[in-house]
Amino acid sequence: MSDSAAVLIARQYDDAQQQRSAADLGIWVFLATEVLFFGVLFAVYTMTRFNHPEAFASASRLTNITLGSINTAVLLTSSLTMALGVRAAKLGLSRPLVGWLCTTIALGIVFLAIKATEYYLDYGEHLVPGLNFAYAGADRHAVELFFYLYFLTTGLHSLHMVIGIGVVATIAAMASRGAYSPAYFTPVEVSGLYWHLVDIVWIFVYPLLYLVSRS
Amino acid sequence: MIAHPVSTAKTYIFVWLSLLGLLLLTLGSAFLSLGAFNAVINVGVAFAKAILVMIFFMHLRSGHYILRIVAIAGFFWLAILIGLTFTDFATR
Repeated sequence: MSDSAAVLIARQYDDAQQQRSAADLGIWVFLATEVLFFGVLFAVYTMTRFNHPEAFASASRLTNITLGSINTAVLLTSSLTMALGVRAAKLGLSRPLVGWLCTTIALGIVFLAIKATEYYLDYGEHLVPGLNFAYAGADRHAVELFFYLYFLTTGLHSLHMVIGIGVVATIAAMASRGAYSPAYFTPVEVSGLYWHLVDIVWIFVYPLLYLVSRS
Repeated sequence: MIAHPVSTAKTYIFVWLSLLGLLLLTLGSAFLSLGAFNAVINVGVAFAKAILVMIFFMHLRSGHYILRIVAIAGFFWLAILIGLTFTDFATR
């Protein structure tokens, strides 16, 4: 099926290449809006940290740097497996394609499991604003603001991870039915771009929340 | 049929190892007391990692130039968002 099927071209496009370029441009424009979506949180973070530098340093020391760093490595690795999956799709290697996509999903689930463990430990340490927040030191309110941002940012990021896992699982199911070929793999590529962007968001979240000050 | 440029698996693995190296660098730097340079290294390394991911994993290197413009535009507007907000807080 996959080797003989001609690429379906929607009527608004001249040819397969134009259709593919439109999809690439579309996902990149969407990703640029995602940069600004998370960017608002980074802007709030920058202003709050500027106003309360010491409180942010103390608050950052309360985050779980071990689990946060392991999760960063897990996510960077999932980007590698996703990139290898897209490469397999381009080369028409359908079995490795499904394998890499499933590995990516598995790493995404590992990330979420570690994140959930972290939330559980944070709860035990009374770090959840609005639920059980308690902090004995100075700047209680600024430290609480940090943790509002921590849960909002990591929560929104985790939501993107859940969506990403759903998307990649759908693509993996389609791929196992032979839906893609070297002539048509746009859905694989576009899903990969989304996955990488979610990784990039974490690349910025990680130092801002976990690494403010550890010395 | 149009040819799609395909990177070697070796390239991807090298990029991944570089990303892990940068992760160790930024993690290690956090344990040194460098004043403002802690933040500079953290944000600098984050940008280096993001650029590696975008150029190699997201194929900006081989993609159409308009994709690079869109990617830069996203960060450009983010810089305006943070920069202009900062003019308020930094000058109070």
